[in-house]
Amino acid sequence: MDGISITLQHYLFLAALLFSLGVFGVLVRRNALVVFMSVELMLNASNLTFLAFARDAGMDVGHLPALFVIAVAAAEAAIGLAIIIAVFRSRGTVNVDDIRTMRL
Amino acid sequence: MLTLPTLTSTDFLPLWPALILSAGACLVLLSEVFLSSASRSFQPLLTVIATVLGALVAAATVFSVPTGVFGGFVVLDPFGSLVSLVICIGVGLSALLAPAFLRGRQAERGEFYALLLFGGAGMSLLVLSNELIFLFINLEILSIATYALAAYLRRGPRPAEAGFKYFILGAFSSAVLLYGAALLFGATRSTLLPQMGAELARIFTDPTLSDRQPLAYCGLALIGAGFGFKIAAVPFHMWTPDVYEGAPTPVTAMMSAAVKAAAFAAMVRVFLVLGRGIPGDALLTGFSTLAFLTMIGGNLLALPQRNVKRMLAYSSISHAGYLLVGVASLFVKSGTTKGGVLGVTALAAGATPDTAGALRGILFYLLAYTVTTVGAFGVLGALERRDDEVRGFAWDLDRLAGLAQRKPAWAVAMAVFMLSLGGIPPMAGFMGKLLIFRSAVDAGLVGLVIVGVLTSAVGAYYYLRVVVYMYMRPAPEAGGLPERNLSTELALVLSTVAVVVLGVLPGITGTWLSRGGSVFLGR
Amino acid sequence: MTTFLFYFFAILTVVAAAGVIAARSPMYSAMSLVGTFFCLAAIYALLLAHTIAVLQVLVYAGAIMVLFLFVIMLLSLGEAVGPAKVTFPRVVGGIASAVLFAFLVVAARPFVPVGAQPPPSFGTLQSIGAQLYTQWLAPFEAVSLRVLVARVGAVVVAKSRV
Repeated sequence: MDGISITLQHYLFLAALLFSLGVFGVLVRRNALVVFMSVELMLNASNLTFLAFARDAGMDVGHLPALFVIAVAAAEAAIGLAIIIAVFRSRGTVNVDDIRTMRL
Repeated sequence: MLTLPTLTSTDFLPLWPALILSAGACLVLLSEVFLSSASRSFQPLLTVIATVLGALVAAATVFSVPTGVFGGFVVLDPFGSLVSLVICIGVGLSALLAPAFLRGRQAERGEFYALLLFGGAGMSLLVLSNELIFLFINLEILSIATYALAAYLRRGPRPAEAGFKYFILGAFSSAVLLYGAALLFGATRSTLLPQMGAELARIFTDPTLSDRQPLAYCGLALIGAGFGFKIAAVPFHMWTPDVYEGAPTPVTAMMSAAVKAAAFAAMVRVFLVLGRGIPGDALLTGFSTLAFLTMIGGNLLALPQRNVKRMLAYSSISHAGYLLVGVASLFVKSGTTKGGVLGVTALAAGATPDTAGALRGILFYLLAYTVTTVGAFGVLGALERRDDEVRGFAWDLDRLAGLAQRKPAWAVAMAVFMLSLGGIPPMAGFMGKLLIFRSAVDAGLVGLVIVGVLTSAVGAYYYLRVVVYMYMRPAPEAGGLPERNLSTELALVLSTVAVVVLGVLPGITGTWLSRGGSVFLGR
Repeated sequence: MTTFLFYFFAILTVVAAAGVIAARSPMYSAMSLVGTFFCLAAIYALLLAHTIAVLQVLVYAGAIMVLFLFVIMLLSLGEAVGPAKVTFPRVVGGIASAVLFAFLVVAARPFVPVGAQPPPSFGTLQSIGAQLYTQWLAPFEAVSLRVLVARVGAVVVAKSRV
C-alpha cells in the first residue's frame, strides 16, 4: 500500500467499517426499522467483501453470492416489514424498548 | 460454450424429502383457495401425510453411498438423510398438535400448515447443503417460515413480538454468518465446503499462504457466532425464552425440535468439513467453551422459572449445551495433549478420536430430544386456555397441579417427557446423554463431561418439580379440562412411546445410526 | 482516477451509513440508506462488478427501499425522536463495534492481494448468467422457494384477522 493506488485492503476496510456500523446500529438503535436498516448495512458489507475478493482473484464466481444476497434481502424485507406492521398494529409502536410485555 | 449440467435421478435423491414437503405445502395452500366450507380438518391430515412420505423417502436414502450432487452443492449422505428423517418427524408431530390449538383460537388456516411444511423443506435442504451460500439461503427459508409462524396468531401482543424478536435476531445472525462466509471466501477462493476445507488445510500448512490465516480464523469465528444464535448457545441465547414463550405452542414445539436439529446438523457439517484442515485446538477450544457456558447458563436460568413454557425454553438451551459437548468431541485431535479449557485431558494412549461415534451420539440425541420436546410442548399447549394467555400465567406450574387426578394419561406422558429431558433412565434422553458423554470421555473431554453430569443433576430438580406438581399437589377447583382431541392425543401417544422405546431399546436404531456416522467430506 | 473515485464514494458511503444510524427520524435513516446503496453501487462498478452494481440500484435502492419508505409512511413514523443521549448500553455497543472493527482490520491487514488480471468476460451479465444457470442451479432453485415462502409468510403476518 503506497497510499496512492487502491488495493484490496481499502475495500476490505470499507466493508469492515460498514459491517461494524451495522452491528453498532443493531446494538444501540431502538427503532425496529432502523435496526432492520442496520442489518441491511451488514448484508451490504458482506457483498462488498465478496466482490472485492472476486476482483482480487480475478474470478467472478464471487459475484454470485452477492446476487443471491440481494435476492434474499428483498424477500427478507417483505417478511420483516410485514412483522413490523403487525407489531405496530398490536402495540402502536415500533420501538424495541417499548416492547417489553415479555420479560427479558 | 455453455454446457448445461446433466442431472440424473441421483441428483434429486437427497432432495426428495424437501420436494415432497414443498409439494405438500403447495397443495395445502391451493386447497385454501378452492375451499368453500369451513371444514379444514383435511389440512393437518395432508400435512402429516407429506411429512410421513418425506420421512419414508429420507429413510430410504440412509443406506445410499455418500456423494455430492448438483455440482457439489448438495450432498447425499446418511448423516443428512437421518437428520432429514428427524426433521420430518418433528414437523409431523408439531402439525398433529396444531389442529386443537388453532381451533381453540378460531385460527385454522391452511397457511399455517403450508408454512410448517415449507419450514420443514428449508430445514431438510439446510442439512444437505454443502455450500455456504446455498446453506445461507436454506437457513433463510426455514427462518422466514418460522418468523411468520411465530407471529401467526394476531390476538394479543405476544405472538407478534415473538415473531419480531426472532426476526431481528435471526436477520442479524444471518448477516454475521454471511460476513464470515465472505471472509472465508476471501481466504479460500471458494464457497463449496469440501474445496474450502482443502484450501484451509493448505493455508495452515503452506507458509507462503500464512497471510490468510487471520482471515480464516475470523471467518470461522463469525460463522460460529451466526450458528450460535441459531442453536441458542450461551452467550447468543437471549432471544430464546421470549420467542419460545410468545410463539404459538405448536410452533414452539417445532422450533425447539426440528429447527434446532437442522441448525445443529448444518453447523456440524460445516465445521466438520472445514475443520479438517485447521491445526491445533482452535475449534475444540471454541466448542468446549460454548458447551461449558451453555450447559451452565441454560440450567441455572431454568432453575427459578415457575413458568413451564419458559422453563422448557431454557431447558432447550441447556440441551444445546449437552449436544455441544458431542460437537466438541468431534474436534479432538489424536495428538492433543492438554491445555484447552476445562482440563481437556489427553486421549488415552494410542486412542484415535472416534468421530463416527460422536456423530452417532449427536444423531441419537437429536432424535430423542425431538420426540421428547414436541411431547412436552404438546401437553402444555393442550392445557393452556386462550383467555389466560393475556394475563400471562397460562403456563404456570400451578396449571399442572393435580394433573394426575384430572388427566392421568397426560400426567404419565408429561412425566415421561420430564424424566427424559432430565436424563433419567430408562428414557430416551438418558440414552442420548449416555452416548454423547461416553464419546466425549473417549475423546478425553472428562472435564466437560463432569460439568455436564453436574448440570444434569441441577436440571433434574426443575424437571422433577413438574412431576411433583402433577402428582402431589391438589388440583385447583376451577380447573376446566380441555376437550379431547384425537390428533393431539395421537401426537402425545406417539412421542411417549418413542421416548420409552428409544430409552429401553436404543438398539433398534443401531443399524441406522451406524450409518449416520458417515458424513460426506468431499474430495 | 480510481483513487479519487474510490475515496469519493467510500467517504460518501461511510457518511451515509453513519447517517442511517445517527438520524433521529426513520425517514432520514431510509434516505441515508438509499445514498449508501448508490455509493456502494459505484464502488461495485470500480470492482468491475457491473452486473451487481446495476442490480444493487434496481433491487436494493429501488425495490427494497420503496418498501421501507412505504412502511414508514404507512405507519407515519416519519417524525423525529428526541436528541440522542449517551447512555450506558450505547457506550457498550460502541465499544463492542469498535473492537469488532479492530479485529476485522487486523484480520484483513496481512492478506497479500493476488492482483490477478481479470478475464475480459469478468463480471459481465453473460458470465454471471452462465454460472447462475449451470453450477449455481441449486441455490437458484432454493431462492425461488424462498421467495414463495416469503410471500406466503408476509401475507400471513400482515393480514388483519386471525
